[in-house]
Amino acid sequence: MATIRQQLASPLQLLALASAGIILLPLGYVTAQALSADPVVWRRLWATRIPELLFNTVSLAASVAVITLILGVSTAWLITRVEIPGRRLWEGALVLPLAMPTYVLAYVYSYLLGFGGPAEHLWQLAAGPQARIFSPHSFWGATLVMALDTFPFVYLLSRSALLSMNVSFEEVARASGVSRLATLWRVTLPLMRPSIAAGIALVVLYVVSDFGAVSLLRYQTLTYAVFQQMTGRSDNTAASILSLLLVVIALIFLITERWFRQRSRFYQTTGRYRAPERHRYGRLGTLTVISYLGLIVGAAFALPASLLIQWSLSPEAQATIDNRFFGFVWNSAILAASASTGGVLIGLPLAYLACRRPTLLNLSCLQAAYAGYVLPGPVAALAVLILFTTVAPVFYGSVLILIVAYVIHFLPAGLQSLEPALQHMSPNLEEVSRTLGLGMRDTWRRVTLPLVRNGFIVAWVLMFLQTMKELPATLLLRPVGFDTLAIRVWMEASEEYYQLAAPSALLIVLLSLPALALLVSKDWRAA
Amino acid sequence: MTPDRSTAPTHPLETTVEGRLFTPASSVLELRAVSCAYEPGRPAVQGISFSAREGEILCLLGPSGCGKTTILRAIAGFEPVRSGQLFLSGQLMSSPDVTVPTENRRVGMVFQEYALFPHLRVQDNIAFGLRHLARSERAVRVQEMLRLTGLEGYERRYPHELSGGQQQRVALARALVQNPVVLLLDEPFSNLDPDMAGRMRQELHDLLRRTKTTTVLVTHDHDEAFAMADRIAVLNQGRLEQFDTPEMTYHMPATPFVADFVGQADFIPGTVSQGMVHTELGEFPDTIECKDGTAVVVMIRPDDIHLVPTKGAQARVLSRQFHGSENLYTVSLPSGQIVHSSQGSTSIYQAGTTVEIRVLATHTVLFRREDSTG
Repeated sequence: MATIRQQLASPLQLLALASAGIILLPLGYVTAQALSADPVVWRRLWATRIPELLFNTVSLAASVAVITLILGVSTAWLITRVEIPGRRLWEGALVLPLAMPTYVLAYVYSYLLGFGGPAEHLWQLAAGPQARIFSPHSFWGATLVMALDTFPFVYLLSRSALLSMNVSFEEVARASGVSRLATLWRVTLPLMRPSIAAGIALVVLYVVSDFGAVSLLRYQTLTYAVFQQMTGRSDNTAASILSLLLVVIALIFLITERWFRQRSRFYQTTGRYRAPERHRYGRLGTLTVISYLGLIVGAAFALPASLLIQWSLSPEAQATIDNRFFGFVWNSAILAASASTGGVLIGLPLAYLACRRPTLLNLSCLQAAYAGYVLPGPVAALAVLILFTTVAPVFYGSVLILIVAYVIHFLPAGLQSLEPALQHMSPNLEEVSRTLGLGMRDTWRRVTLPLVRNGFIVAWVLMFLQTMKELPATLLLRPVGFDTLAIRVWMEASEEYYQLAAPSALLIVLLSLPALALLVSKDWRAA
Repeated sequence: MTPDRSTAPTHPLETTVEGRLFTPASSVLELRAVSCAYEPGRPAVQGISFSAREGEILCLLGPSGCGKTTILRAIAGFEPVRSGQLFLSGQLMSSPDVTVPTENRRVGMVFQEYALFPHLRVQDNIAFGLRHLARSERAVRVQEMLRLTGLEGYERRYPHELSGGQQQRVALARALVQNPVVLLLDEPFSNLDPDMAGRMRQELHDLLRRTKTTTVLVTHDHDEAFAMADRIAVLNQGRLEQFDTPEMTYHMPATPFVADFVGQADFIPGTVSQGMVHTELGEFPDTIECKDGTAVVVMIRPDDIHLVPTKGAQARVLSRQFHGSENLYTVSLPSGQIVHSSQGSTSIYQAGTTVEIRVLATHTVLFRREDSTG
């Protein structure tokens, strides 16, 4: 029901419009730069880089999608439909890989699979001293790292589809004389399809926009190429053209994900919730299931985490924990705190207006704020860089430019907890306060803000922790000599100083855990 | 049910609806030809006029989407008025040019889902709008409301720790503690189970009478409106169909829509000749003075139709619905016309029984045939 709040509208409306403008402007500049580029540049790129980059990006996304599909759906099904010892523990452990930034996992695996690394040693014991395994700096290396890092997206969405699915569907199938396996194939999986598709789209979006893993594994994708054009050649025009291409691809998958996620609501017919019956396997079966889960969790989290701990405790690493190290921590914290504060301040009016006055204008402003989703880190950096060099070159090389890039990049993450917080609050609560004699401002102070406070805090924490581990935009935009934890990990790992990178990496992983807990707990229901 | 006898007209048809619309300034709430629209050109309510006297309980009754909640929100000041005027205590509150902000209207409102502040305790919810009072004064007023609504002992609870009925009482206390000029209730019983709703209805009625609170209540349930209201405004598609006492609304509906909406009704077609209406069920006086040959329908309620099982009679029982205190029969006349009859709880006739029909109406309501929606 449209509620009239004329007095509120004007200042807040202006604020929202300004915020949407700030967010869309850089994207507009990149597009303009790409479209106004000399056709020669376009032709050169099409003839040389683009086919290879597109092929690399798409084939990596496809192979990761297939592997995450298998890993995600199988683990989700085992967790929800099979009785195993320590099920609750496994259930949570399978989410943990999301706490590993891709560059951390990539650096651990370039040690594990690298030339003369432990994996090669083991393989040589079995297959003879001349045997080689695939290099981590390859298509397969990138696939492995990205798949291990992103399969929890598919796992989470499949798991919640399995949990909210009306068990009666499966029971009806069994009652009609269909075998257990055929029921899984003909009833359960088709009902999960939209959720699985949404998970896969999320994975692809993540892979396409990833910079950390592909840069450490030297695998050429579009995102990596944007970075290289900016740093190696300082060619912002070519970078803009590649960025535009990247944004289009990301947009396609973002829309796909949204579409499937909406459809999944229809598929998950609500009914009275009843826990599904869990199969009990014999001793051998249970052991197989546990080894399978153990292998996945081990490879994606436990093994890398224990290596990081071991390295961090080494004398070389201990020696780096000095004042310089705490300087990096401080830099990271200051940057993250300013970015998340800015994000919440910009996000709140946008979300509030879209929620309470859902006019076309306000909804578009909110959607504009979600643009950060389709901007991979290097592209966000490029966009802000072009904007500032055109409009306000004074700020070039300052921290401000970096913070603007962070806000644009991570605002969607913040909005995702601000929006529901506002939507859960009935507008009647504000209206009843007005009938009790409170004006607009008092109502905000005494009703709206206290009620959205939790969503507000969650949004802040999420943006803070995401900014903490951001890599490509920081690399491109930081003032000279201004290093953060993420930068240190990447620099040391690029030089293969595995031990030296470990303390920063470990700290990032530890800090990511609460963010993960916050994200997952929002709609977590134990199986 | 305590209808305001002084307002009941001596003869129903002498007092037209318009006759009582523009009552003197003593009315606490007055709407003059109010229209509201969410989108221009598509009015949600149109030309609504009625007024409420001090202490009166009014019901806005109608099907969903008829605009009753829009009127309530216009009184509260949440919806602007496109045309017409709205007065509270004789002062202009809403017109196309003026919209006094809600907080300056002194209206109390109880929302359908109560809208209790989830972050405040019961006592703080009730005291929410009493900031201008001293702390001690506030506590006294809150205690008084807690006693009045039977919530003593619950003051330190949070809303989610209360039952539905208790939550409603808190919402009521929070509205009443302000001494509102008019109390607005939006479908107050729809979130309660039927048993609880019945009890709360009685409690609320007593409380409103005791505090002499002028009240506007929105509902789609005619039983609720009959039980609570001094006068009922029946709305349909954004227009006021009738504004009258519950008894008049039931027995003398102004339009076929009202007749049908406030209870079961059958519409028997007939023709006027020589001051009488001739129908399949017999002859009735022509109360609307039509020319001979005019096609009309006679509205008859099931409680006015009596069945006498008779061998060889032409009407036939089609089905029976048992309602506990009565049996509702569906009867087919020889022409195929269907009528309903309410019989005592113990009068049980099988389907197929042939019956003689007696109409025991002390009054009949006629509509011209083209008006009829029946």
